[in-house]
Amino acid sequence: MTTTTSRPLVLPGDPISPDLIPSSSSKPLRLGPGLRHVPPSDIVPVVAGQLITNHQKNSMWVEYNNNRYLPTPGDLIIAQILRSGPDLYYTLLSPHTPPATLPHLSFESATKKTRPQLAPGALVYARVVLANKHMDPEIECVSQSTGKSDGLGELKGGMVFEVSLQFARRLLMAKSREEGKVEVLELLGGEGLAFEIAVGRNGRVWVGGEDVRVVVAVGRALRETDEGGLGVEGQRRLVRGLVRGLK
Amino acid sequence: MTTSNPTLAIPGQLLGSTSKYQPGPGTHIHNHNVHASLMGTVHIAQPAKAPGPVKRLTKITPAPAPAELPTISVTVPTRSAGSDHTGQKKREVLPEVGNVVLCRVIRITPRQAVVAILVCGDTVLDAEWQGLIRVQDVRATEKDRVKIYESFRPGDIVRAEVISLGDQANYYLSTARNELGVILATSEAGNAMHPVSWKEYRDSETGLTELRKVAKPY
Repeated sequence: MTTTTSRPLVLPGDPISPDLIPSSSSKPLRLGPGLRHVPPSDIVPVVAGQLITNHQKNSMWVEYNNNRYLPTPGDLIIAQILRSGPDLYYTLLSPHTPPATLPHLSFESATKKTRPQLAPGALVYARVVLANKHMDPEIECVSQSTGKSDGLGELKGGMVFEVSLQFARRLLMAKSREEGKVEVLELLGGEGLAFEIAVGRNGRVWVGGEDVRVVVAVGRALRETDEGGLGVEGQRRLVRGLVRGLK
Repeated sequence: MTTSNPTLAIPGQLLGSTSKYQPGPGTHIHNHNVHASLMGTVHIAQPAKAPGPVKRLTKITPAPAPAELPTISVTVPTRSAGSDHTGQKKREVLPEVGNVVLCRVIRITPRQAVVAILVCGDTVLDAEWQGLIRVQDVRATEKDRVKIYESFRPGDIVRAEVISLGDQANYYLSTARNELGVILATSEAGNAMHPVSWKEYRDSETGLTELRKVAKPY
């Protein structure tokens, strides 16, 4: 019936009672982020958060909000170029972490002569290719198999705002209005403001647009929704107030 | 000048003159004198035949031929069992080009794997020498599509071949043969793994497979 029943708060190392674990005869149990399987039959949370179970897909995971981004292959992130190496760029995903490498030719239709020249400080929207505990992460701006960028690449102009990791995840959800409870962006667009958005899983949102006041207003809306923990109603009120201030 | 021979020597110590001694292992010549190169005990090996007595005082005889001089050498007493079965003191073994060595992976980067060479042939080395396995030397085929993370991980034991003595810091090694590659690997969960194909190891306990460049078992 419902996809979520109870959402108990778990701490790292807490035992999970067996009645919380979904059981299905056909599908194997899938563990999402925040849980670790200790053979033979123990499931242990490794972070503090809410334990969510999905009985239809037979999966369970922990919803948590920490401020340290750990790169995972397949994540879309916003990276800042630090410097250029022999044939790659060194980029920063989050402060005080080893730089991630971005090959010079990892852009759509890039050859040695026609590649984009990115200056230090430039922003790119990229996907994490390789991330493990033994090596520095690697990112790319083009899909390996198709050769198309699908919206990845340099982000020109605009401003970057920092948000919490969980808010970025909610923004990136497919059903952000229903499940993520965040519709501040749709509301702002509905009011007629023209802007572009790129959300990075590493807690960065890039807002681009021609009018600086619009960009700043969008950034303020995101920041206040995130920090204030506003629900849908609060977001509507916030957007109304901001748009009134713009006009 | 002292007439008694020193029994212990430190590097640089004067042992004698080249007119009296033939330099052996562990010594070198400087300004017509034999000096010690190592720290150890001094041995004097008597020559095959003793120099003959001087025949006549007035005859000009050449200096004794080098084969007739006693050989002076300095040897380091080894900490281990000492001598091998022939009674000779063990010499230091160094990896040479073409040797098959066993090494442990220390660190991986996208372009190379840094290893510590532990065993050369059959001899366990006293000191660990650092080696590099470059990404183009991991496999014989499809060298440009090799991913180091899918070939080695830190902590693996690898059988490799020395291809170059390299520079001051590193030997250069290669695993580009079927019988070279990872021979012992530990999984992410910490368990020992057994090989299932030329590129996979399987954890016995959890059943998960990990990618490595596997050495063909003999």
